[in-house]
Amino acid sequence: MNCEVSQLKELEVEHFEIREVLRCILHTIMFHRALGLVRPKDVDLELFDITYVQCGDVELEKKIDEKIDQFICWVEKHPNKKSQICLSFYEVKNNKAIWFSNKVERLYWEQWYINLNVAQHHKPTSSKSHHSKVVDSEGASEERSARRAAIEVSLREVLFQIIKFVNEKKDHIPPIPSREGISFPYEITIPSSSDTTFGMDMIKRMLQTGHPTMLS
Amino acid sequence: MASSRGNVHSDTAKKEQIITEFFTKTLQIILESRSPYMSSRHYSGEQVVSSPSPSSSSSPSSSSFRTRDKWFNLALRECPAALENIDFWRQSNLEPMVVDVILVQRSIDWDPVNFSPQRDILKNPTLKEQVSNFMNLESEDPCVVEPRNEKVIERWVVQYESRKSRDGSSSGSKKSSGNLHSLYKKSIVLLRSLYATLRLLPAYKLFRDLISSGHIHTYTLTHRVSTFVEPFTRREEVDMQRFSFAPVDTACGRLCLSVLYRSIVSDGSSGPSTPMSPQFIPDYVGSPLADPLKRLPSLPRSHGSPSCSPFSRRHSWSYENYQASSPLNLPSPSPSPSPSPTYSDSHASVSKCRSRLPPPLSLPQHLPEAFQATSKNVGYDEYWPSPVFSPSPSPSPPMYIARTDASKALLRCESAPVSIPISKAFNREILRPSPPPKLTRAATLKSDRSTGPSGSSVEKFSLGRDESGRFSGLRISTNSSPGISFSRSSSRPSIPDDFDDAEFACPFVVDDDDMGSRPESLDQKGKPCDPLDHGGSFPVRTSQDAAVGALVLMLKKAPPLRQDSLMASKADIEEAVLKPDNQQQSQKGVCTNIQSSSLAMSRTTADALEELRSYKELKELLLTQGKSSQVIDK
Repeated sequence: MNCEVSQLKELEVEHFEIREVLRCILHTIMFHRALGLVRPKDVDLELFDITYVQCGDVELEKKIDEKIDQFICWVEKHPNKKSQICLSFYEVKNNKAIWFSNKVERLYWEQWYINLNVAQHHKPTSSKSHHSKVVDSEGASEERSARRAAIEVSLREVLFQIIKFVNEKKDHIPPIPSREGISFPYEITIPSSSDTTFGMDMIKRMLQTGHPTMLS
Repeated sequence: MASSRGNVHSDTAKKEQIITEFFTKTLQIILESRSPYMSSRHYSGEQVVSSPSPSSSSSPSSSSFRTRDKWFNLALRECPAALENIDFWRQSNLEPMVVDVILVQRSIDWDPVNFSPQRDILKNPTLKEQVSNFMNLESEDPCVVEPRNEKVIERWVVQYESRKSRDGSSSGSKKSSGNLHSLYKKSIVLLRSLYATLRLLPAYKLFRDLISSGHIHTYTLTHRVSTFVEPFTRREEVDMQRFSFAPVDTACGRLCLSVLYRSIVSDGSSGPSTPMSPQFIPDYVGSPLADPLKRLPSLPRSHGSPSCSPFSRRHSWSYENYQASSPLNLPSPSPSPSPSPTYSDSHASVSKCRSRLPPPLSLPQHLPEAFQATSKNVGYDEYWPSPVFSPSPSPSPPMYIARTDASKALLRCESAPVSIPISKAFNREILRPSPPPKLTRAATLKSDRSTGPSGSSVEKFSLGRDESGRFSGLRISTNSSPGISFSRSSSRPSIPDDFDDAEFACPFVVDDDDMGSRPESLDQKGKPCDPLDHGGSFPVRTSQDAAVGALVLMLKKAPPLRQDSLMASKADIEEAVLKPDNQQQSQKGVCTNIQSSSLAMSRTTADALEELRSYKELKELLLTQGKSSQVIDK
C-alpha cells in the first residue's frame, strides 16, 4: 500500500495565531479522513474570516488541542525555528511473528506535513517577510492588518490544498474499518524536545512508509 | 422519495441508489450552506426540518429520515425541498443536475418576514412557509419586489457518466461489489470536500451574513435547480472561476462535480458590476481621443453637414491642431457645438478650439481654391483613413489616449504659440511618414521657395516636410491603416515646432474628408470625393486661422468642397508625377494626417518649383542677356 505524503504550504504565523491555524488545518484534514458517520460542525475562526468544519467528535477535539498545547510549548523553547507537525493515518496489523513484542505493525498510508514558521511576538516580522519595517504606530497597525490578511489568504490556500489533495488521491485509502466517525487510526507528531529526535522520527516514519512490513 | 430501495438486490440497483443518493446529498449540502431557508447552521441539531408534505413537525421522528441522513456517513438535517427535487432527479440519473446559487438584490420594501432577522422567531411555526418559500422563491419575490436584480454567483454541476460497456461486461459479483464499495467510499470523500469547500467559497460570507446578522439585508440568496446549463454570457464568465472536484472514477462510471463561482461577490447593491463601470467610464471620458472617436463614427454618418463631422475627427486626429489653431483666430463662430464638448473633456482649451473653428469658415473659401492646385488627392486619401478610425473607436482609443496625454501636455505648453505648435504636430506626423531623407530635403528646398511666396521662412521648412508627407500621404494613405496614421499624428505633436498653419489646415481637411467618405476608409484615396475634401484643407495651409475657417466653410458647403477637392486631387496627381521621390515616400504608408499636411505642402512645393523654374528662366535670361551684353560690350 502506498503512503501518500502531502507537504502543506508553509505558513508564517505569529505565536498567538498558532492555535487557530493548527486547529483549522488539523480538523479540516481529519474531516476528510473521518469517513465514518459524522455530524459536521462549522467553526468560524476568530482571527480570520474563515470557516472550517469539524467532525463533531469531542475526543478528537480534545486530542488535537492537547497536541497543539505541546507544540506551543515546544515553540516557546525553540524560537525562530521552522517547525513541522505531522498528521499520519495508518492501518494496524498484528504481526504474529512479533506478537510477543507487544508491538503492532502500523501501516502508514497517508501523512500530512504542516509547516509553520513562527515569528517572534516582540520582534517585528522576521527578515524574511516582505513587509517593510514601519516605525509609526499607524504604519504598524496597517502592517499588522496587511499581514493578517496575507495569512488568511495563505491559510485559505492551504485548506484548498488539502481539498485538492483529498480529491486527487483516493485510491490509497484503505477500506473503512468502522462506522464510527474517526474511522482510521491516526497520529499527530510534533517536534520533540530535541530536534534531532524529531528528525529521526521523521526519518523513521519515512522508512516505515516505504517499507510497510517494518515495525514502527 | 426513497423509492429505489426496493431494488437493493442487484448491484446495479445499488449503484443506482448510491448515485441517486449522491445527487440528493449533494443538493442538500449545497443548499444547507447557501439557502437561508434551509440552513442548518442556526438551528439546533435537533431541529430537523421534516418532510414538508406529511408533517410539519420539526421532530426527526421517522426513522427513514435518519436512515437516509446517514448516507455517505454525513449526518445533516433533513432537507425537504432538496429531497423533493431529488425525487424528480431519480428518474434520470444520467441527466446532470445544475444548481445555481443566485444573489437577489431587493428593494427596501422587501418583506422583512423572509429576512434573516425574523427567521429565528418564525422558524418553528413557519417551517412549511420556509419550505414553500424555499420552493417558490422566484414566484413569490416578484410580487413583493419590483426592482429585482439577480445574479448567478455559483453554479454547481453534478453529473454521472456511466460506462455502459464495462458495466455489463464486468462479470464478477465480487468485482462489482468492490466497485460499489469503492464508489461509495470515494463518494464520501467527495462529499466531505464539497462540504468544506462550500464554506471556503466567497458566497459563504453572504450566506453567513444573511443568516447571522440582525440587520435587514438588501439582498438574499436563492437557488435554481435544473437539468440543463443555461450558458453564461462572456461577460459573466469573465468573473467566474472554476473549481472541479476530481471525479469519482470507478468501473461503473464517473461522478463529476464542479462549480463555477464568482471570485468577487459583494453583498452591496450592485456588486462587482458597479465598481467596474466607473473605472472604464473615466478613462473614456478623460481621454479626449476616446471621445472624439466615439463621436466621429456616429457624427459623420448621422450628420449631413460636414461641419459637425470635421470637428469630431479633429478630436480624433490631434488635439494639437485644435489647441494651436483654435484660440486665436476663430473665437466667434463655433461651427459644431457637439464637437465642443469633446474638446472640453480633452483639453482645457476647448473654448479655444471653438474660437478657432469659426475663423476657418471664412478661410475655407480662399483656401480651397488655392490648395486645390496643390493636390490634395493624397490628402483626401489620408483623410479617409481617419474616418476609418472613427468607425473603430474601441481599438484606436487607447492609442489616442496615450498619445493625446502626451500631446496634451505638449499642447498646453504650446497652446500659447497657437498656430505654430499645431503645425508642429502635423509636421511630426508628416515627418514620420516621410522616411526617405532625400525626399524631405528636396521638399524642403522646394518648400523654402514656396514659402518665400507665402511669406514665412518657418513655413518653408515645414512645407518641405509637408511635401514629403503629402506625397507619402497621397499614395501611402491607401496602404497605411488609419489607426496607424493617427498614432503617428499624435506622436508628432511632440515635434510640433516644425510646422505651420498648413498642418492645421490639414487636420481640418481631414475632418471634412471623414465627414464625406469616412466610412469608406483609407483605400478610397483614389476616389475623387476625397480630393475634394482635401481641397478644403489646402486653403488652411495659407494660415491656420484661415484654414479653420475654410474647414468650417467646407463642412457647411460639402458639395462645392468636393468639387474643389476633385480639382485639388488632380493638382496633386500632377505634383506627384512631377516628384517621384515624394510618391515613394507616400508608399511608405504615411498617415492621413501627413497627407493632409503634405497637400498643403505640395502647393508650396509646386509653387516653389514653378518659382524656381521662373527664377532659373530669369537667371538664364539675365545670364544670356549679360553674356550678350558683355559680348556686346566686349
